Amino acid sequence: MTRLRYALLAALLCSAAALGFAAAAAASTSTAESALNASSNDACFHCHGQQDVQNRTIDVGGRQKSIFVNSGVYDASRHGKLACTSCHIGFKPGLHGVDQTQAWLVTAKLTACNNCHADVFAMYRGSFHGNLVFGESNGKAPVCADCHVAHNITPPDTPAFRASIDSLCARCHAERLKTYLDSYHGKASYLGAAKAAVCTDCHGGHKILPPSDPESKVSKQNLVATCAQCHPGANENFAGFMVHVDPQSPSSSFAVWTFYALYIMLIAVVFTFALVHTALYINRGIKDGLYRRNHHG
Amino acid sequence: MASTGETITAEAAPQKVRTRIEYRRFNVFHRWMHFLVFVSFTVLVFTGMPLKYKDTEWARWFMDLFGGVTAAGVYHRIAAIVTVFYWTAEFAFMVVMLLHSRGKLLRSPGSLMPGKKDLQDMIGMFAWFFGKGPKPQFDRYTYWEKFDYMSMMAGTVIIGMTGFMMWFPLWFTKVLPGVFLNIALVIHSNEALLAMGVIFIFVHFFSAHARPESFPLDKVIFTGSLPVEHYRAERPLEFARRVREGTLDEVLVEKRITWKTYAADVLWWIITAFAGFCAILMTAFIIWSVFD
Repeated sequence: MTRLRYALLAALLCSAAALGFAAAAAASTSTAESALNASSNDACFHCHGQQDVQNRTIDVGGRQKSIFVNSGVYDASRHGKLACTSCHIGFKPGLHGVDQTQAWLVTAKLTACNNCHADVFAMYRGSFHGNLVFGESNGKAPVCADCHVAHNITPPDTPAFRASIDSLCARCHAERLKTYLDSYHGKASYLGAAKAAVCTDCHGGHKILPPSDPESKVSKQNLVATCAQCHPGANENFAGFMVHVDPQSPSSSFAVWTFYALYIMLIAVVFTFALVHTALYINRGIKDGLYRRNHHG
Repeated sequence: MASTGETITAEAAPQKVRTRIEYRRFNVFHRWMHFLVFVSFTVLVFTGMPLKYKDTEWARWFMDLFGGVTAAGVYHRIAAIVTVFYWTAEFAFMVVMLLHSRGKLLRSPGSLMPGKKDLQDMIGMFAWFFGKGPKPQFDRYTYWEKFDYMSMMAGTVIIGMTGFMMWFPLWFTKVLPGVFLNIALVIHSNEALLAMGVIFIFVHFFSAHARPESFPLDKVIFTGSLPVEHYRAERPLEFARRVREGTLDEVLVEKRITWKTYAADVLWWIITAFAGFCAILMTAFIIWSVFD
C-alpha cells in the first residue's frame, strides 16, 4: 500500500505540475508576447528568408511585392519575438495556395493588428484611411502595416520613426509633402530638428480625418487647439497660417504669390543691372590697364 | 597742400619712426559699424541660406558645421540682435549728424543722399565703359556706394520685420492674420537672396575687391585711412572741396609705419580673403542649386 500511495502522490504532483505548466503556457500564449516557438519562424524563414526569393513576388492590391523577409531586420524589430503566424494567421510550412494568400490579404491582414492593439485600431478604423479600406474596399488605401512597416515595426516615439513619417505620407500625398517641406516646420524637420512638427503632429496618426470633418485635428473647430499643442496661446489668426502653400502658384495663395513674383522681378532687375555694370567696369579696367597700377597701401 | 602735410610730419614724427600722412576716410564709428555688419551679415547668411536651399548637399554640410539646425537658429537670432543694434546705432548717428549740421549734411555733395549728380555720374560711367567719354569724378560717395548703403539700411528693415514676425509669430498674430506669416517667409527668404547678391557679388564685393581702383582689396573700411594721393585720385571732388573749404586738415592723420602695421595688413588680408572666399563659394553653391 505504501508504494501505491507514493505512486498516487507522485502522479498527483506530476499532473498538478503539468496542469500548472499548461496554464502558464496558455496564459503567456494569450499575451502573444512570447507566443513562440522560435522554430516555427525558422520554418518560415527557411523559404522567405532566402536571398534568392527576393525576385519572387505576389500580387498585393495590384502591386507586386517580394515574398522575401529579412529575418535579421524582423528579429530586431519591435515584433521580433512574435511568431509569423500571429499575424499571418493560418499559414503552415509548405507551399501556400494562391487562394489562401489572396484571402488572407483581404481579410486577416487588415485586422491582424486589432488582436493586440484594439484601441488604436478602433481609431484607425474610424479614420479617413480606415474608411477607405473597410468602407470602400480601396486596395490602395494604407493599412496598419503600410505606415508601421510590417516586418520592421519600430516604436513610433523613436526619432528614426518620426523622421520617416514625411516619406510614409508622401507615398500618396507627394504634393502635400512638397509644400510642407518648403514651410518653416518642413525645412527645420528636413534638416534634422527633432522638435519640428511632422505630418502626424497636426493631422493625427491613427484618426486622420479631412478638414471638413468637425472631429478632424485640422478642422476649423480644432485647428487652434492643434497649433496650441506646440504654440500655447495660439489664436484664430495664428491658425490662419497656411502650411501647404506654394508661393510659385497664384492659385495656391494669390497674396503670397504676389510677393514672390515681385521679389523675383526685383532680384532679376537688380542682379542683371549690377552684372552688366560690373562686367563693363572690369572690361574697361582691363583695356585701360588700370589693374596694373599701384594699389592701396 | 603739400605744406600742410610737411608741417604735421615735422611736428609729430619722432626720429627714426617712419610715418606717413594719410587721408582719414572713415572714423572709428564707421569702422565699428562696418565690422558689426560684416560679422552679423556673414553669420546670418551662412545660417539662413541652408534653410532656403535645404535640398542641397551643402545645406546639410553647413548645418553640421554649426552643430545642427537648432544651433544654427540660435546663432541666426544672436546675429539678428546684433543687426538690430547696429541699425539703431547707425540710424541714431545719422539723425544726430543731420540735426548737428541743421540739415546741411543732406544737401552737401559729400552726403549719402542720392541726387541728380548720381544719375549724371551713372550715365557718365556707361559712356566711359564704352570709351565715349572721360571717367566721371566723384565726391565722397559714388552712386553705387549710395545704393549699397541705402539698400542695406532699407533692406534691414524689411528683413528684420519679417524675421521678427517668424521669431514671435504668436505676438504678431494677435493683430495680423496668419497669411502674413506666409508672406513673411517669402519676403525674408527672397530679400535675403537679394541682399546676399548685392553684398557678396554684384555691388559690394565688386566695389571693394574687383574694381580696378580697389583690386584686390580696398582695406580702408578696416584701417580707416589711406595714402593721401590714392584718395585724391579716387575722390577728386571731395579732395578739392576740402581744399577749397579749408577743411582738409580735419581728415589728415599721421600714421606710424611699424612692423605692426604690416602684421595687421597681412592679418586683414587673410581674414578678408577667407571671408570673401566663403562668400563666393556660397554664392556659387546657390547659383548651382538654382540652375541645377
